[in-house]
Amino acid sequence: MSKIDIQQLIDFLEESREKSSEVTLTDVMGLAEVMTGSMGDIIEHVQPAVTLELAEIGAEIARMKAEISKLRVADMRDNHIPEAGRELDAIVSSTEEATHTIMEAAEAIMAADPDDTQAYQDTVNNQVMEIFQACAFQDITGQRISKVVNTLNTIDERVSNFVERLRLKQEIEDSPLEETEEERRKRELILHGPQQKGEGVSQDEIDAMLGDVQQDDIDKLFA
Amino acid sequence: MALDLQMPILVVDDYKTMIRIIRNLLKQLGFTDIDDAADGTEAYEKMKQRRYGLIISDWNMEPMTGYELLKQVRQDAALTKTPFIMVTAESKTENVIAAKKAGVNNYIVKPFNAQTLKGKIEAVFAD
Repeated sequence: MSKIDIQQLIDFLEESREKSSEVTLTDVMGLAEVMTGSMGDIIEHVQPAVTLELAEIGAEIARMKAEISKLRVADMRDNHIPEAGRELDAIVSSTEEATHTIMEAAEAIMAADPDDTQAYQDTVNNQVMEIFQACAFQDITGQRISKVVNTLNTIDERVSNFVERLRLKQEIEDSPLEETEEERRKRELILHGPQQKGEGVSQDEIDAMLGDVQQDDIDKLFA
Repeated sequence: MALDLQMPILVVDDYKTMIRIIRNLLKQLGFTDIDDAADGTEAYEKMKQRRYGLIISDWNMEPMTGYELLKQVRQDAALTKTPFIMVTAESKTENVIAAKKAGVNNYIVKPFNAQTLKGKIEAVFAD
């Protein structure tokens, strides 16, 4: 290893230390590049096969770097994901606002005095118009949801391409995820949230379960 | 058996709009004394201070869920017989079974209408 190589290694490590205390994949790959580069001369004399192997590793690292760059992680983190979050917040806000307007109108109709026919008719007409106008939120919400779906598709496409290009699909299985506190709570308190149409049990099925099914039948379901 | 329209009812839901919907449906059905709470903890505190004739509770709330509230109510000698209806979007079989095991009187899956609510309240008081 020459003085120049050692200096390159020192420079690299000092630069990494200044940037952050956390070691990233990019840091590791960069270090590997510097190390393989610096050891190239020595190994070339020792064993040509090893040199070839190292050259291949170097090429693979360079390819991985290029693929990571194509993933455009910073773009996803800084633009796509925050934008999707803002859209979802806006959806919650606009549906809340519309629901409030519709409920106000319905309550005004409920509270109106039907004995005064003309006034009652006016109230109903005005409030129904309010309800129609409030329902416009559905159109805007639909557009916002489309934007969020597009973001998810973009992320899905980039990650899928990344996995495919790195040929990870068949080689690496997902590592088991450790259960978070929130997941544990959901499991223990049976919190599934709303089901898709046709997935959960219907009100009729619930009625049957609460009515006719005996404790023994319920216990059998757990056996 | 005729329903007691004056009985105090406690509606428990963390979503204000749902409380408002259930309140209005109950009013339409003729009930006049309706109170509300935003989660199981608040509901349990209110139940210790006032005797309610019926609890209508959501399942998915924080910090205390409706399921935990149901179990706590059934373990409390002073409250154990209080009629309890679960009104929830949790519609998996295991939820219904768990609620039944914990002593729920009836179970309504969201979304629901006034007729369903009325039917279930009548069924609870017919038992």
